[in-house]
Amino acid sequence: METSIPSGGFRPDVPVGEAAARFFELLKTLGAAATGTAPDWSSLAAPLATQFEQWLRLSQSAGPWFAPAAGAARAVPAAGFAPAAWSFASLPLAAAATPASESQRALELFGRLGQLQAQLAAHWSEVANTASQRFVARVASIAAAPGTVDQALKLYELWVSCAEEAYAATVHRSDFSRLQADIANTTAALLLEQRRYAETLARAFGVPTRSEVDALNAELRELRRELTAGRPSAARETTAAPEAPVEPRDASAVKSRTHAAHRPKRRPPKRPARPSGSRARVRRPRR
Amino acid sequence: MKSSHATLAAPFPELTLRITETLARLRLAGEVTVGGSPKRAVWSCGKTTLYHYLPLPTARRTPPGSRPLLICFALVNRPYVLDLHPDRSLVRRLLEAGLSVYLIDWGNPDEADRQVDLEQYIERHLGGSVRHILERHHSDALDLLGVCQGGVLGLCYAALHPQHVANLITVTTPVDFHTSDNLLAKWVRGFDTALIGASGNVPGELLNGLFLALMPFRLAQQKYVRLLTSNPDQRAIEDFLRMEKWIFDSPPQAAAALAQFVRWFYQENRLVQGTLELAGRPVRLADVRAPVLNLFALEDHIVPPAAAAALRQHVGSRDYREYAVATGHIGMYVSRAAHAEVPGRIIRWLRQHR
Repeated sequence: METSIPSGGFRPDVPVGEAAARFFELLKTLGAAATGTAPDWSSLAAPLATQFEQWLRLSQSAGPWFAPAAGAARAVPAAGFAPAAWSFASLPLAAAATPASESQRALELFGRLGQLQAQLAAHWSEVANTASQRFVARVASIAAAPGTVDQALKLYELWVSCAEEAYAATVHRSDFSRLQADIANTTAALLLEQRRYAETLARAFGVPTRSEVDALNAELRELRRELTAGRPSAARETTAAPEAPVEPRDASAVKSRTHAAHRPKRRPPKRPARPSGSRARVRRPRR
Repeated sequence: MKSSHATLAAPFPELTLRITETLARLRLAGEVTVGGSPKRAVWSCGKTTLYHYLPLPTARRTPPGSRPLLICFALVNRPYVLDLHPDRSLVRRLLEAGLSVYLIDWGNPDEADRQVDLEQYIERHLGGSVRHILERHHSDALDLLGVCQGGVLGLCYAALHPQHVANLITVTTPVDFHTSDNLLAKWVRGFDTALIGASGNVPGELLNGLFLALMPFRLAQQKYVRLLTSNPDQRAIEDFLRMEKWIFDSPPQAAAALAQFVRWFYQENRLVQGTLELAGRPVRLADVRAPVLNLFALEDHIVPPAAAAALRQHVGSRDYREYAVATGHIGMYVSRAAHAEVPGRIIRWLRQHR
């Protein structure tokens, strides 16, 4: 029994091909510096820094949550990992239906995100420059351009080490961590604004909102706890969670009960009147 | 871009040829399969499914006195990495040793699960799995193997229900989240978890991007160049494809559980501080008294070795063993070196603790 993996969109040759292109680009840059008898490695610093900075910006490598934000700098998944995830749907945040204060708040958040992006770009620039300077300093002792494949690959490994060292030196700093957190929090806040707007629309059309479904979910959970504990929540001490497996699966149970909650209420059919004096007892379901 | 490869690498035509050929083979490679060991779903709760691996016909006889073994993997990745290929399968090695192996697959949480929190995952999903297995085997306790974040869940469960866990194995499991080399912890320290929890489930791609961003040049450039320049044979290409599929196949995360995990563990380090509570009960590592085998990787960029080794100082067990493997986080599950060491070590340790 093998696990089938959804292959939708998974194209391993794409990031590999892009890495190859970047590798060749690097070789070309190295080759240009190494023409003639004495390589001029110092001339490498600027083009290497430019290439690396460009890659960092495109891959959004240290701010994956930033990619979807605002569309201001829509990331190209250059390295294969910039996700188009946590993205905003195509709902207009500043639509007329939104209260003015909410629209204003969304615009402010977009502005804030733009500022943070500029700060992130400054970090990438610093990382790229430091990496290229490290590399130039280390290859200075090499007298000749790489003549064999092995030499070229060793030079590449050295470049990777310099790049990662420069990157680590920046991203471990507290100011960078704060920036990461600011970006994540602002993105989350924007997402929340969008959902608020979606709720406004849902209410306008009489459709259950996320908050209402969440409230039902919470109620279900409480009911489940009460069932497990066998007594009402007010009197219940907190104990371990329910014992019984849920069959059918929870999600479907939640859905079906949620739907049920939104169905129009019906009155229970009237029970036929019992003849007086009957000893029949009505059995109540046990809790 | 691709058409200019030859021009760019003119001084190295051999390299150009090697890379172009490998790229072509990658494009032509068909679908790879993973998780080949036969298994059967035996219980489910929400999106979580408990699987029981069928005994291998070639396996040793189940050793007398051995208990069922439950593998609890991380919420943030798929567990099939433990059974990626018959030659690199921890699950298969455990089955060959005659063990009765169960695995929790957390599935794909959707919007109906956004309020599923850690208490539910640990008490209902993990706890429900344990109770189901114990009933099936008419047993009082099982052996629990927690991997990465799954090890954290396993530690919590073992602390809350010590009577049900006979032996505990943790693999690349963070315990102290505030070691100085923990980059992930530094980055998420300032996250507003209430805001993140309220904004809905977090897509797996986003977390995956976060993990790759810890060492972007090595993980998103160098590894590909190494593959292309190494003259890989068909087998190596297939192994690479399996790993890539696994890496980019991350499930979404239930908002409530993720927000709690970030806050309680990464931000507040509650496991080590002794301040964690679940279902109104304190979760103390000192209450984990079962024998513990703690395995971690020395070059782990996600769970630094010090973060995992911290278990030694906090666990209540008097029978604590740890073992460090010279590999990285993912290498711990799939590398040749780790595969030669880790399963055998687990099997031997379990035999000693029947």
